[in-house]
Amino acid sequence: MDATILNALRDPAGVPFYPVVFQGLYILTWALHIAFVLLSLGSMGLSLYGSTKQKSDSNWKILTPHLIQVGKISVSLLIVLGVAPLLFTQVIYDSGWYVTNTLSGVWVVAFIYALMIGYLMYYWYSYANKAGKSSNTLIGIISFLILVFAGILMHNFAVESIQPDKWMEWYAPNGVIDNSGLNFHIDIIRLAFMISLTIPVTGIFLQNYSDFLSTREDFSVDYIRFTKSLGTKMAITGLLISAVLFVIWMLRDGLLFNPLIIATIISVVILLIMASRSNKNSYATTGMLVIVALFISGVREYIRYSIISGMGYDIYSIPMNLEWESIIMFLLTFVFLGFTGVAFIAIMAWKVGKNEGLVYDCDTNPVLRKLGSATLWILIAWTGIYFVWGMFTLFKNSL
Amino acid sequence: MEMLGLYPVFYVPNIGTAWLMGLTGVMHVLFSHTSVGASILFAFLAYKAYHEDRPELYYYMKKYGIFLLVFSYVMGSITGPGIWYTATVASPRGISSLIHNFVWVWATEWVFFIYEVVGVFALVYFMDKIDRKTHLKLTYTFAIASVGTLALIVGIISFMMWPGNDAYYNTGSVSDAFFGINTFPHMFLRIGFMVMMSGIIGMVISSAMKKENPALGVEMTQKMGIISMIGGFITMLFFMWYILALPENAHALMGKLLPGIIMNRIILTVLFSVYFAIAIFRPKWINKSLASVMVLVILIFGLWPGEKLRESLRKPYIAGHYMYSNQIIGRDVPGKGIKNEVPLLAAKGYLKLDPWVPTRLRTITPENKLEVGRMLAIRACSNCHSLEKDGLYRPIVVSIRIANLKDAESIKGYMKNVIGTGSIPYMPKIALPDNEYDAIATYLDVQANK
Repeated sequence: MDATILNALRDPAGVPFYPVVFQGLYILTWALHIAFVLLSLGSMGLSLYGSTKQKSDSNWKILTPHLIQVGKISVSLLIVLGVAPLLFTQVIYDSGWYVTNTLSGVWVVAFIYALMIGYLMYYWYSYANKAGKSSNTLIGIISFLILVFAGILMHNFAVESIQPDKWMEWYAPNGVIDNSGLNFHIDIIRLAFMISLTIPVTGIFLQNYSDFLSTREDFSVDYIRFTKSLGTKMAITGLLISAVLFVIWMLRDGLLFNPLIIATIISVVILLIMASRSNKNSYATTGMLVIVALFISGVREYIRYSIISGMGYDIYSIPMNLEWESIIMFLLTFVFLGFTGVAFIAIMAWKVGKNEGLVYDCDTNPVLRKLGSATLWILIAWTGIYFVWGMFTLFKNSL
Repeated sequence: MEMLGLYPVFYVPNIGTAWLMGLTGVMHVLFSHTSVGASILFAFLAYKAYHEDRPELYYYMKKYGIFLLVFSYVMGSITGPGIWYTATVASPRGISSLIHNFVWVWATEWVFFIYEVVGVFALVYFMDKIDRKTHLKLTYTFAIASVGTLALIVGIISFMMWPGNDAYYNTGSVSDAFFGINTFPHMFLRIGFMVMMSGIIGMVISSAMKKENPALGVEMTQKMGIISMIGGFITMLFFMWYILALPENAHALMGKLLPGIIMNRIILTVLFSVYFAIAIFRPKWINKSLASVMVLVILIFGLWPGEKLRESLRKPYIAGHYMYSNQIIGRDVPGKGIKNEVPLLAAKGYLKLDPWVPTRLRTITPENKLEVGRMLAIRACSNCHSLEKDGLYRPIVVSIRIANLKDAESIKGYMKNVIGTGSIPYMPKIALPDNEYDAIATYLDVQANK
């Protein structure tokens, strides 16, 4: 596959904005997406261990259902957050995305149904655990394995998309076309590194969880210590494992001394130091984790960009058809609705979580009251603008 | 080396690939429409509960909400991207054309999705944990955000049918593409259906409450009956407007399908009118089994043929009246610098322009003619047809037999003089060099007549 063909595969409509913006948005949104992928799998995996201990251990009895709930909400968030990188990758790397999808058509369809069955079983696991049924662990293990399988499929798509030199051989081995869509190719080191990240992410989450609950009187000091200590152990061990795998991966690809890779390793070391200081407030550690996630996302994009541009496909030279109306719509919606709306619900969730199970009167909190009203008015205004814009366009073009 | 931007073909023998999208799409419509409809319903119920001081309505909302989380948000949020994925494997260039036109619209919808997903968890799990005034506000924002996701996607799927005027082709503008002539009838048609679905699912919840709170169960069944009736009426009304806003190629196909559609719609209208009337006047007759069966009825006899019809009516295009279902661009779009690929393909053929043809098949020989014919038939026909002797989904062999094409020569003649000239309004104009027609006809003759 050479540059002529890669360029021919670009959509003739061009891109509606500067490609570097899509690239930046991809890095940002993939980092958010993977954070919840790792948290969901990590908390679910840990809950499976907890489900075997909860009958005899009072700490695990409290922690296990909480981990299940965290995983459950995280799966929803990973799905919705995953839509954005999926969108942006298609705009600038058309060829990689669409070729991969058609070469692995069966797995693409399997991915959707695996995710659906795995998530439905997750709810089943959650109800079975709540009802105290003995089958809960088994249901959870099956659900967990299906969701991990879905993750491996997604890894397969990413790996295939950065190997244009192999696409033709995969599609027509020895010159005989294979339309079956059964191509499946994984990179074991890269996959192991990604999976290993579930451990430190869950560990740092547990540190946050412990700090969050430490102000509540309905949780014992012993429980707070237990969760903090568990989180710290997981964060340190997990980060060490991930760091080793990352170094092996980079050594193999000859990238270890690249400035971006060195910066990523430094960020991991800082994260390790912060996570190991377990007596300190852990929210800052999460901030550092976000930076590390952005670095890892950046490394992935750097690898892809290097390979594809090395073959003569330059994302920065894609023809551009600037499209201001829809860009303005996105930016205004993102800034106004995104920040206001999510802040409204996030602050509400924080306050409810701190309120020890009682009814929290949000209306007495001026910040929440204003955020709620602002979200409502933004949505009303958005709807009004939509209809005025639509009717104006329709009449302009049809009358 | 001149090449077309074609992608590899994923093809499931005997079935094709389009059905995969159909299956995922119908499931998504059921889940997503119920969730948007339920968000409107929740706003109504929360308003009544707050202003009339009726705490028992929160109990109903909680039950409905938990059901909704599993039913709509697990399944709906996965099948949404699922349509995207399955459409990509079937029609990569079709999806690509939508992405490259509407990426910012989709990105905007993504912001709404985020609010919707965090909103539904807050709405359900915080029902007993926050004050009711704030909960009401949250419910209103959730309803508008949910309808907002519809408002954003509906312009894109309406564009898949057609923009309805030439403005987009000249300007390339998203506004001109998005607000076409069938966007608004399509939107209100779906809103009506969403409201109706929220009532139909609401009856599954209310009919299951007979033991724990029979009076509330009966009242809710009645209310859901009224809501469903209103939703159904809106659906029918805007369906008629929607039909009027369709392009000529759709009307050509409608001419063939209309008697069946009308009969299906009449039967469904009568059946569901009776069902809703029972819910309103004899609510105790509605039990959990009947309510669940009616969900299946609407899924199998209402949604499946409805979505199949909408997908068929788009043919021969899959996006914007310029991207053919066989992934070839069928007209110029000067506003975006897009060129019609049909003349180039007619002059040079797939064997020279398709990047995915193995070198040994670029030249037709007596030994590889059948293999080349199959490769070209898969490339040109399989988006709509299954190709094998026992093909199940829109089998091409049946079309060949109906047209009474009994040998390779007559198949070739039909392809060249009918399909190659674009004489069938709902089929792409597939104009190819003579040797490529020959190879396809040889392969199809073996499938249909040997």
